[in-house]
Amino acid sequence: MKYQATIGIECHVQLCTKTKLFSEVDNDARGKEPNSCVSPVDYALPGMLPRLNGEAIRLCILAGRAMNCEINEFSRFDRKHYFYPDSPKGYQITQFYQPIIASGYVELPSGTKVRINHAHLEGDAGKLTHFDTYSLVDLNRVDTPLIEIVSEPDIHSAHDAHDYCKELWRLMCHAGVTYGDLYNGNMRFDINTSIAPEGSKELGTRTEVKNLNSFRSVERAVEYEIKRQSKLLDAGEKVIQETRGWNDATGETTGQRSKEEAKDYRYMPEPDLPPIHLSPEFITKESAKLPMMPKDYRGKFGGVIKGDILEILLDYPELMQKLNEIDDKYAILVSNLFASVLLAEEKSAEYLNDLPTAAQLKDLAEMNEKKELSSTATKEVFLKMFDPDMKGKETKTIAKELGVVQENDLGALEAIVDTVLAKPETQKAQEDFRNGEEKVIGFLVGQVMKESKGKANPSAVQEILRKKLV
Amino acid sequence: MKVESDTVLHLADLSNFSISDAENKSLQKDLDGILKYISQLDEIDIDEVEPTYQVFEMENVWRDDEILPQDASRDELLALAKEQKDNQIKVPKVL
Repeated sequence: MKYQATIGIECHVQLCTKTKLFSEVDNDARGKEPNSCVSPVDYALPGMLPRLNGEAIRLCILAGRAMNCEINEFSRFDRKHYFYPDSPKGYQITQFYQPIIASGYVELPSGTKVRINHAHLEGDAGKLTHFDTYSLVDLNRVDTPLIEIVSEPDIHSAHDAHDYCKELWRLMCHAGVTYGDLYNGNMRFDINTSIAPEGSKELGTRTEVKNLNSFRSVERAVEYEIKRQSKLLDAGEKVIQETRGWNDATGETTGQRSKEEAKDYRYMPEPDLPPIHLSPEFITKESAKLPMMPKDYRGKFGGVIKGDILEILLDYPELMQKLNEIDDKYAILVSNLFASVLLAEEKSAEYLNDLPTAAQLKDLAEMNEKKELSSTATKEVFLKMFDPDMKGKETKTIAKELGVVQENDLGALEAIVDTVLAKPETQKAQEDFRNGEEKVIGFLVGQVMKESKGKANPSAVQEILRKKLV
Repeated sequence: MKVESDTVLHLADLSNFSISDAENKSLQKDLDGILKYISQLDEIDIDEVEPTYQVFEMENVWRDDEILPQDASRDELLALAKEQKDNQIKVPKVL
């Protein structure tokens, strides 16, 4: 039988605040010792009170606006109780009833719109590492601010699920609310998949696959679930509503412990945190800080940069910001350099973390335009801009040190041409040219190039030679 | 509503307690009494009343996003755990 799949996605985004959501300790635990970013609040010692980080509220407004969401003037926190060693409190502080981010939508590059139901602010849990007979608990991640973005079930294919997650990642990175490092779990995806016979009005029973941390695994897990559920229904069996885990190595999902029901979490208002009440003026003021988003860049550069190149570059918000600072007429050259030179070098990740300045890039494009750099030399200088020994230097300095600046100064070129024309070994060629042997001009240009150590602009040299050899 | 043995076992499970049959029986009776007592509240009509989420009438108590030194060190906090290993808290295996 033919089935229609329906997919909804929950996405957790770690916010890049300096401190945690409820305590004044370092929120960036990357590369730090276990339990070194922990306060008595995270440890849930008796009498400790959470203190709300105002920056997290501001980032929520940006994240919400990036997804075309309304921001709720009133929101507040609840306790969600569960018993597990990743949470010393025995509950998670979340927003169950009144979240800060209301409904909106995300538009995929294909034009498909996925509606956002809401997004709420909550604290992350600690990290467990399992061994044979025990588990170890690292609380560095406890109460890192998270937003959980809940989509409507508007997705109907594994491909769109992939694109939705990727677009969310781009939006959050461009909005500057997260480091966006998927490998380190800055964004995690839970997918809810169900299938129903095509044309059916009712949705099938759904399963949830939790904690996916790459777009590819989202796509594969959805594909797998659609296949698995189709097989069950074809065989006349039923899909069980359950949480399933994803195994990236085998490419399969497997059933996990039955999920606690909402009532088991015993939600109650968080008494230690007064509610949030945002004025419309505050929301407007903070929303205005939203930087250029992918759709803005597509609008601005759509006619200038080739579509497929632009889509690649949109993965790098900092690069797009630089491109935006450079004059539009140089955007093509600079974007092509990034796309063809850098991405082809397969060094993109390390290179793209530390970009040249907009001024360096602008100078490079200018030198290329004035023909001070040939296209080969432009690429060469561009690559050197990422070289640890060169990167701080001005573009002109780098080009000079490489010895690739073309000589365009007519006076200087004429002097070189004169030197060459005065040499005994060029006399015969000069005579032949005057006698109508057109092709010896090549030899003479070559001699000038040699004399200039390759820095002369060949077309300018030829022009001068022709004038002098009348 | 009568509290059944299964309900008590479920609640104990959520809190990670193990209880004996005798404790289960006595908890059924206690919880039953508590629920009956609390259920008197159901008789009050609160349709028109705004829920009370907190009693201090404060809002927007935010702090600046600045890292501050903490009163307790990592070693002091880890020392509170029953067992530790490699600067982490050691717990019985959970999955």
